[in-house]
Amino acid sequence: MKTVVRDKQWAEKYPDLGTEPVPTEPYCSDEHYALERDRIFRRCWINVGRVDDIPEPGDYFVRDFAICKVSVLVIRGSDGVVRGFHNVCSHRGNTLVLDERGSCPGSVYCHFHNWIYSDTGDLIRVPDEENFFDLDKSKHGLTPVNMDIWEGFIFINLAPEPAETLRDYLGGVADQLDGCPFHEMRLMQTYKVEERANWKVALDAQNELYHLPFQHRLIVGDAFVKNDAGHIRFQNVNLYNHHSVWSAENNPARTLPPLEHLLFAGDDRAPVIRIPQMIGEFDFFVVFPNFVLLLFDVGNSTSYISYNFWPLAVDRTIWEIRMHFRDPRSTRERLQQEYFKCVIRDALQEDAFAHENIHAGLASGAKSHVILQDEEAPIRHFHKVLEDHVGFYRNG
Amino acid sequence: MTEALLPEGFEDLAPFVDWALEPERVRTAKKSESSMEEIGAFYDAVMPRLEEIIAYLDGVPGGDERPAPAQRLYLMSLSLVEIANLVEIYKRREVIEACDPLHFNPQQ
Repeated sequence: MKTVVRDKQWAEKYPDLGTEPVPTEPYCSDEHYALERDRIFRRCWINVGRVDDIPEPGDYFVRDFAICKVSVLVIRGSDGVVRGFHNVCSHRGNTLVLDERGSCPGSVYCHFHNWIYSDTGDLIRVPDEENFFDLDKSKHGLTPVNMDIWEGFIFINLAPEPAETLRDYLGGVADQLDGCPFHEMRLMQTYKVEERANWKVALDAQNELYHLPFQHRLIVGDAFVKNDAGHIRFQNVNLYNHHSVWSAENNPARTLPPLEHLLFAGDDRAPVIRIPQMIGEFDFFVVFPNFVLLLFDVGNSTSYISYNFWPLAVDRTIWEIRMHFRDPRSTRERLQQEYFKCVIRDALQEDAFAHENIHAGLASGAKSHVILQDEEAPIRHFHKVLEDHVGFYRNG
Repeated sequence: MTEALLPEGFEDLAPFVDWALEPERVRTAKKSESSMEEIGAFYDAVMPRLEEIIAYLDGVPGGDERPAPAQRLYLMSLSLVEIANLVEIYKRREVIEACDPLHFNPQQ
């Protein structure tokens, strides 16, 4: 679709969003953070990884979900089924698996007293079992965590009874991306970036393009279509129930730096593999609360990046960045992927630097509100959904 | 006879074989600890040969099967990508407003 560069089009499309400034307290308040924990992170579906992370029976990863003080063990059982458990031994509550990922074909054991669990979560062996009192092993397997999978993405939900199924929760995002061949794109690189910033500072800073020609003026300032005054306009914005997506159109008039020109211009390029589920040329899906899927083309094949923003404290976050590409069909395609990875990485290093400065400014308390323009509508939507969940102002 | 460092026809790039590094974090560290002059010299030597390098690498087995001299050439091409933004876009380190590149901690 062609980008319309007209002003204030998103407020027109989504009048319910309003145009008011957005309060800064949610970025810095301990009370708000505690409510986010109870009303968002303990209730919503949270992406913790992909099925491709644990392809073989016995493969596992542990997700330290710090804001909820929960460690989740996600393990593919001998039966091939992926399950999620609290990573806690039934005996005395010790943390069961200590490494972040690995493989334990058949069973996992506790380092404290060697209680052993099958890779499907059953308690199968207790040393000195006869000296316990009426111990029924069948009642003391690992504690399951609500878990579901959509298009290979593993989500957990810490609510005792989730209010919605994962599919219902994802709603319009799943409607748009159902069938998207994420499994054909391989994880090439993961970065975990620890930042002294609130998780929403980091997420909001990524959730608009207004900053590109300024903060990233050298590296990606010209990446997308702009109006005559040099300001980027989204190609499209869709707001779903909890989630959102914006799209941008690549700037066809961009001057390519020499290496990019060499790698991408002309030549015997491999056949195009595009994803029909894409809306624009660069789609940025925000899956509430802390998950982002970013789809874009590298040369002739579609790739995607995911972000997970993991709150550690009100002012500390791990920004997990995962870059996925199709298996390269030639040396040129491999170098094209490396090039994109490095350009995006270098741009995100500018963002990481900025996130901490933004947080410091917000935490100073100098400003009670931030002011959003029309091209920052996705941020406005996010904060509306945030308040719908948290009720910080509704109850206060 | 000792094995050649680099494939035939690329012997002149031998002075830059210390850029044949993996994984990504090691290439990033090399970028961080090198002067702009050293980085510029590497770029000037390898960039004009990149088309040849790509053609050569397409003609030999890839992945784990790639012969050691070709593997060095391949890793040098990844290092070229690693430093290209610094040479072509930023040009001077002083203009960069970003976190320490090594703060981005590649996990694999």
